[in-house]
Amino acid sequence: MRDSAPAVAFDGVNKYFGETHVLKDVDLAVEDGAVVVIVGPSGSGKSTLLRCVNRLEEVQSGEVRIQGESITDPDVDVNRLRQRVGMVFQHFNLFPHKTALENVTLAPIRVRGLPAEQAIRRGRDLLAEVGLAEQADSYPAELSGGQQQRVAIARALAMDPSVMLFDEVTSALDPELVGEVLEVMRALADEGMTMLVVTHEMGFAREVGDRVVLMSDGRIVESAPPPEFFERPETDRAQRFLSRVR
Amino acid sequence: MGETYADDASVEETAGDGLLTDERVRIAGLAVAVVFTLAVAGFVGLVLVDYVDYDLLAAVFPRFVFAFLRVLMVVVISSVLAVTAGVFVGLGRVSRTSLTYSIATAYVQFFRGTPLLFQLFIIYLGIPSLWPPGQFPISQSWTVVPGVLSIDWSFITAVVALTLNHAAYVGEAVKGGINAVPEGQMEAARSLGMSYVDSMREIVLPQAWRNALAAIGNDQVILVKDTSLLTVIAFPEILTVFREVNSNQFDAWTPIVLVAVTYLAITLPLMWLVQYLEDRAEWGADRA
Ligand SMILES: Nc1ncnc2c1ncn2[C@@H]1O[C@H](COP(=O)(O)OP(=O)(O)O)[C@@H](O)[C@H]1O
Ligand SMILES: [Mg+2]
Repeated sequence: MRDSAPAVAFDGVNKYFGETHVLKDVDLAVEDGAVVVIVGPSGSGKSTLLRCVNRLEEVQSGEVRIQGESITDPDVDVNRLRQRVGMVFQHFNLFPHKTALENVTLAPIRVRGLPAEQAIRRGRDLLAEVGLAEQADSYPAELSGGQQQRVAIARALAMDPSVMLFDEVTSALDPELVGEVLEVMRALADEGMTMLVVTHEMGFAREVGDRVVLMSDGRIVESAPPPEFFERPETDRAQRFLSRVR
Repeated sequence: MGETYADDASVEETAGDGLLTDERVRIAGLAVAVVFTLAVAGFVGLVLVDYVDYDLLAAVFPRFVFAFLRVLMVVVISSVLAVTAGVFVGLGRVSRTSLTYSIATAYVQFFRGTPLLFQLFIIYLGIPSLWPPGQFPISQSWTVVPGVLSIDWSFITAVVALTLNHAAYVGEAVKGGINAVPEGQMEAARSLGMSYVDSMREIVLPQAWRNALAAIGNDQVILVKDTSLLTVIAFPEILTVFREVNSNQFDAWTPIVLVAVTYLAITLPLMWLVQYLEDRAEWGADRA
């Protein structure tokens, strides 16, 4: 089951905030190793979609499955399934009272029960991978935005997730710091990580994405590989969106 | 985010000298401070030279030391219990479980909404009268240090009332501290697979604690001063000794000086402790 099932699957998902219908009959399958880029105007439901994957938001109908296991099932051990889903946020959300290394080792020690020594060794490796070997003992307040976001990526990777969610992770960064974060994400994609990426970086969508999904008003209105999406969009909605972002 | 770099402190200092103050304002402020200090120093000097009876001071000094020890005992126990209980009250006040929230809220409303003096009476007089006359089991007194400290119903009342009362105030401080922690902190912790309890303990509460420290410290200073009410339940606290000395010796300033020194001997170290804890909870920003 786990091998054949998609890494992430949405099945007829509807999500309301009170009266507001935010996700409308969303179907989506993310294959193992795929990089799916989600684009769309502000307020179209992109963040909500990502947050349903690890059940930071509850859905009102439909099902979300991680490797075939329903995370929307009310009886499921959500903490267990969340370990398979790494999430990186727009505003980093690093733990300010912990050093970079402690941010990265906390969950492996607390949740997976890894011996501290092993978690630290792995944590240092991950920080080195995102180019922050020297900053292991720095507190978030001592790091630049780009460095903080790279620590946040390392923190999510430390749980060995099978899929990574990125929600506009470069939007809060000064323009000169965007590149270093995108580079880390690109390397991760090259290593075969399954990724769901909400971004306004069309260059990244085109070059790294296996598929681009356009959301509009809570619906997925177009879903295609980058060349088709950018060169021959099928829907009017996609054409209008592209004419604005170009 | 960009503003939180390590060398901002120096920037602020220059801004403070250059932009936010004006030479004339600075001199006027200094003049007021100097005049005020001289006036106070002159008055205190006058009191110490002309109005304090040093023989009497030496004679009654031990009684203030004993009162200090008694009050310190009550303060330390009540304060530790109030802060501990206050964390749970604060957690109840942010609980999404409506029963937990309602109980915590009612608790806070009662203990903040009625006077501490009244709460002392409820326990001191109300509880024993639940038993038939003369049957209340806690009527004796256990001597801990003869002449200094004994544990009796008034001591127990003091600790219980101060704890219950101040747990409500600490709870509000903790609630404010928790609410000031960005939502994203809990979300980041939960998204890593951490349980609600672990996320609270490891991530939210340490930050809430820092946010709430000043308010909690402030409340503990008030707790110290609230011990002055214990005289009504026959607990020999600091002002009780003051009144005994004052009425027996017809001297006001000698015991006044001793009272000030005795309270400050508790409140100043307490304020230093709070400052130390606040400094220790700077994570990176001001350290580098
Ligand atoms: N916690 C919330 N409560 C109420 N409405 C919300 C909440 N979060 C998002 N929304 C609404 O849901 C819609 C989709 O939001 P979001 O998923 O954040 O969009 P996007 O990420 O595409 O900008 C918006 O109309 C937004 O106002
Ligand atoms: Mg969003």
